[in-house]
Amino acid sequence: MTIKRAALTLLLLVTSYSHAASFVVTDPTGEPVGPAMITASPLTVPESDLSDNGYAPHGVTNRAAVTLTRFTDSAGRASFATSLENHSIRVRAQGFVDATVTVAAEDAETAVTLQPMSREQLIASFPSNVWLSQLNFGGDAELKKTFQLNCAFCHQQASPFMRNERTVAQWLSVFERMNGYGARLPNEDHQRIAELLQTELRELRENPQQVPEPREWEPYLADYRMTEWPIGDGFSQMHDFLLHPNGMVYVGDNLFDRIYEVNPATGDYTVYKVPHREGDSVGGILGNRFTVFPKMDNTMGVHSFAYSRRDGNIFITPSMQQALLEFNPETKAFTIHEMDAGFYPHTIRTDDQDRVWFTLALSSQVARFDRDSGEFTLYDLPARNIREWLVLKSLPLIFWMDPERRPQPAPDREGTGLPMPYGIDVAPDGRVWVARLYANDLAVIDPATDEVTMIDFPFAGPRRLRADAEGNLWIVAFQDSLLVKYDPATAIFTDYPLPVINEIPYALNVDRERGVVWVNGNQSDTVMSFDIASEAWRVFPMPRQRFFTRDIEVAEDSGAVYTSNSHFPTWQTEGGVPTLLRITPLAE
Amino acid sequence: MAATRLPGLLLALCASSVAASDWPVYGGDAGGRHYSALDQINRDNVAQLEVAWVFRSGDSASFGDEAMAQTSTQSTPILLPEAAGASLVYCTPFNRVIALDPGSGEQRWDFDPQINRGGDRPFRCRGVSYAEDPAVTAGAHCRHRLFLATHDRQLWALDAGDGKPCAGFGDKGRVALYGSSGQPPGEVSNASAPVVANGVVVTGSTVIDFTRATTPRGVVQAFASHSGAPLWQFDPLAGHPDSGSANVWAPMSVDAAHGLVYLPTSAPSPDYYGVARPGDNLYANSVVALDLASGARRWHFQHVRHDLWDYDTPAQPILFDWQRDGVRVPALAQLTKQGFVFVLNRLTGESLWEITGQPVPPSQIPGEVTALTQPKPIAPPPLVDGFLMPNDAWGLTPVDRAHCRRQLEALHNLGLFTPISETLTLMYPGSLGGANWGGGALLADRGVLLVNVNNVAFTGRLLPAAENAAERELPAAGKRFRVTMAGTPWAVEMESLQSFLGLPCNPPPWGKLLAVDLYGGRILWETALGSVHEMGPVKAPFHIEWGTPNLGGGVATAGGLFFIGATMDRQFRAFDTDSGATLWRHTLPVDATATPMTYSYRGRQYLVINAGGHHMFNRGSGDYLYAFGLPQ
Repeated sequence: MTIKRAALTLLLLVTSYSHAASFVVTDPTGEPVGPAMITASPLTVPESDLSDNGYAPHGVTNRAAVTLTRFTDSAGRASFATSLENHSIRVRAQGFVDATVTVAAEDAETAVTLQPMSREQLIASFPSNVWLSQLNFGGDAELKKTFQLNCAFCHQQASPFMRNERTVAQWLSVFERMNGYGARLPNEDHQRIAELLQTELRELRENPQQVPEPREWEPYLADYRMTEWPIGDGFSQMHDFLLHPNGMVYVGDNLFDRIYEVNPATGDYTVYKVPHREGDSVGGILGNRFTVFPKMDNTMGVHSFAYSRRDGNIFITPSMQQALLEFNPETKAFTIHEMDAGFYPHTIRTDDQDRVWFTLALSSQVARFDRDSGEFTLYDLPARNIREWLVLKSLPLIFWMDPERRPQPAPDREGTGLPMPYGIDVAPDGRVWVARLYANDLAVIDPATDEVTMIDFPFAGPRRLRADAEGNLWIVAFQDSLLVKYDPATAIFTDYPLPVINEIPYALNVDRERGVVWVNGNQSDTVMSFDIASEAWRVFPMPRQRFFTRDIEVAEDSGAVYTSNSHFPTWQTEGGVPTLLRITPLAE
Repeated sequence: MAATRLPGLLLALCASSVAASDWPVYGGDAGGRHYSALDQINRDNVAQLEVAWVFRSGDSASFGDEAMAQTSTQSTPILLPEAAGASLVYCTPFNRVIALDPGSGEQRWDFDPQINRGGDRPFRCRGVSYAEDPAVTAGAHCRHRLFLATHDRQLWALDAGDGKPCAGFGDKGRVALYGSSGQPPGEVSNASAPVVANGVVVTGSTVIDFTRATTPRGVVQAFASHSGAPLWQFDPLAGHPDSGSANVWAPMSVDAAHGLVYLPTSAPSPDYYGVARPGDNLYANSVVALDLASGARRWHFQHVRHDLWDYDTPAQPILFDWQRDGVRVPALAQLTKQGFVFVLNRLTGESLWEITGQPVPPSQIPGEVTALTQPKPIAPPPLVDGFLMPNDAWGLTPVDRAHCRRQLEALHNLGLFTPISETLTLMYPGSLGGANWGGGALLADRGVLLVNVNNVAFTGRLLPAAENAAERELPAAGKRFRVTMAGTPWAVEMESLQSFLGLPCNPPPWGKLLAVDLYGGRILWETALGSVHEMGPVKAPFHIEWGTPNLGGGVATAGGLFFIGATMDRQFRAFDTDSGATLWRHTLPVDATATPMTYSYRGRQYLVINAGGHHMFNRGSGDYLYAFGLPQ
């Protein structure tokens, strides 16, 4: 017996059962496995009223089947403060086959022995990003970025379902279908990408030793716990959400015009159905691209959330309409603020003056809503060229046409006609910052002067951005796989490679209180934290494979971080349901 | 019952008296490879192929058009070894067994089991099986015996020399298959040949599996091939009292050396509604390996979980040696209706290609809990692309294309495994496949599988049973098919997705032939299979090779050829196995929805195919057996 094993045995003998459920995880030789992820899921799902097309009716409260996750420490041990007697316990660790156990009796310590994976199982278990890293698109880096930009905002791009061998014709069929759903993969690239995907994925399949191992889980994971609230169903997409000062989390189902008011303290959630104008149809003014889906109910298209610091009312961008939604969390009343211009309300924030700011992604504008006057002010962001200017100016005419008959401009690599203002945030000095995804630039609006200044972004794919307490901007460069800081005082960009390979970060948030940037890892089943002072990363593996992390919110008091499991379609995620997830640091 | 002699016959008879060889069992060998090492007929001379003889069973004259319209001619003859008489033996849809002279097509004997023709099931017989019984003295009656499983659930043992029942087998040569399992004839029948090896004969069954919630059990039965004594039974759905079937209607395979029999099990009942059968429904929709001697389950591989699409395991498991990096693995290739090819270690059931759990959308039917994922091999690619979007709508003219597009826009359609709902749902591939009972042919030592598939979209929906009476028609003939699933709240309605012109809404080819590299996991080539020139209201004077629905398989030979009928154009074709080019074709009197076979007899290689039409295609029937050879 090694000293390490002896110590472990001793530890087992002397440990008192102070927790409701504790575990020790070892490999077949008795060596402790840490970190191992222990996820407890209730064996019985609470009775729920899902009588409204599979969802809770408006105003009805159900309880989610909350799952809990902890990680073992270096001794292979982890404990939960609650009884897990009626839970299924899944134990997962890198390089080992999942084990599923139940806890026999309260306070019993459960020993779990994990069996090592075969080489084939191990490689198959790797997340999408490491596979994607080995696709070099024949050396054409720009083509790979084009592919990632247009294909990776909904799906993991080298998950097992993408790695399945396809003929070139089958790949082309996929691209046609996806562009029909709204993707913008340039037609001119279809054939070449189809051929490259077939060739390179086959090459990887035949030579899997080329695939690098994912980042190892690290000991600090034992200092956190995760809580997950499954909400909605396989057709839902929990896109953005809001952590409200009232303690509730408001999650938007982007595809079903529903808001889930989740109480993290109890697991209860209440569904509020977003109203729409009589006569409006599914897909709103964009038209319904998902007619073949068995169900879809996105007449408004609930997208992004922000709340008023004055009265707590919640503002929501309905992407499918020329409108802004307001929700009173006290009265549960919705108000639709009509707009007469601007297309595709996207990401939204509020400022200290109680003004509401949001991007208009299709019309390349930023909107400001003044609550007192009820008026919108639109800021035009510049077109990149004459053709783009013409396209933007013709949008009202295009949108006047029948959605089913209006012209659909063929997408090109530059996204001409679609500079797409995307992320937005209000800096501590009150200035409003915007990132334009396809144009690779930033806009800053000074509310005092209404002046708009454009700044070139030296990387590809500025998606969402956030300001820190110092007024620096933190931006994710989507297809360049970078976290980028912009210091407005010096006009210097600093880029920080992500701690996982070939990640394609969608969103981020800044814990201003603690000086930490949180970045989502949609291809690697992770959330990453970046300590601004030390420039140190931490990586948090998610409890489900193909967990497409998207929005991030930070609880200012506890430092807990929330994210959404937002794969589209949701049924591609492990377990087949969308979830809201919280990472909570354990008390010191 | 007359054979038409042809001029080359005399020459053939005078040729060297080389022994008969090849095709002693239904699939060419016990592993169903449909491959022959014969190469007399090859790429260079196949264009000279001509009719050697034609035999007519006499069923058309005896039973008449009305009865023949309820038949599907699907039989593949076997050639008995010299010691067993070297006869070419096959069965007709009414289970008559006929032995012919392989060189002339002259009838040597026939046996008519006088089946009970009651019930709704169409009549078909895919073949008979042969075994030598060492327990019988050499030269004695039934030392060489044939086994036949009939429409009315009788297992017969016949002497291979004279076709008379083997007195020592069961009750004067037969065993009632329903006797021990309580399955009444009419609702359950048999069509595929039994398998026999190591003194054991194993039979499956065919069950109507969508009309009731709880259909008869799909019990597989084994008997001593010498005495007919029952040996064991295997119920694939044991432990699922609220379901039925999961029967084995497709041909089975045997690995006698390892003592294993491989069962391709079908869907549980009812096909399209699974609320009363929660879970994966093992061992339905699986390949199950049983110990041949005891019936004990050795392993299983389920390729559809909680089936809601009627994705039976439709084809004979193909046994072969898979190779990678010079290592040979005893393997099994399983074709499926959903268009996948699974390659398994046939001793363990482990997939030799990574299986990815294909996430599938949930059902909208109250109480229906679909499987979260369905198994999909990471390679080879699907043989049929299970997506058909409105933009893909096909039509001969803009008008019928628009009609198809409108239909597609109104369908629930998330690709393969979209659960059927109360709204019309795309079923693509439909229950016709993909692959079907014709299976595939494997080129020896190259790991190349040649397989014909259907490529026609269907639609289906569930309707409240109380308000919707059954209207049973044939979906493949372009008609709506509505059946009440008794014992459930639902009726199911299906039809092919087509325009007002009667043409499919998906782009052609509507039937195709593919070559799949099972070692490399890729498709080498694919080509349309079949001409639509006879499918319209008026026959076109020229072939239009857009592919047709097809049933029946093909045979590959060392001559670099793949022979297949199967199509809705009365053609029997030869393809180049390397390129997929059509090298030869012959027009038959009716469709040949059967799998051909080949053999050498007295120095001449013959290709034989049964041509009698298929009741589902509704294109005429016949009772022909055609033999082709090179001119003598």
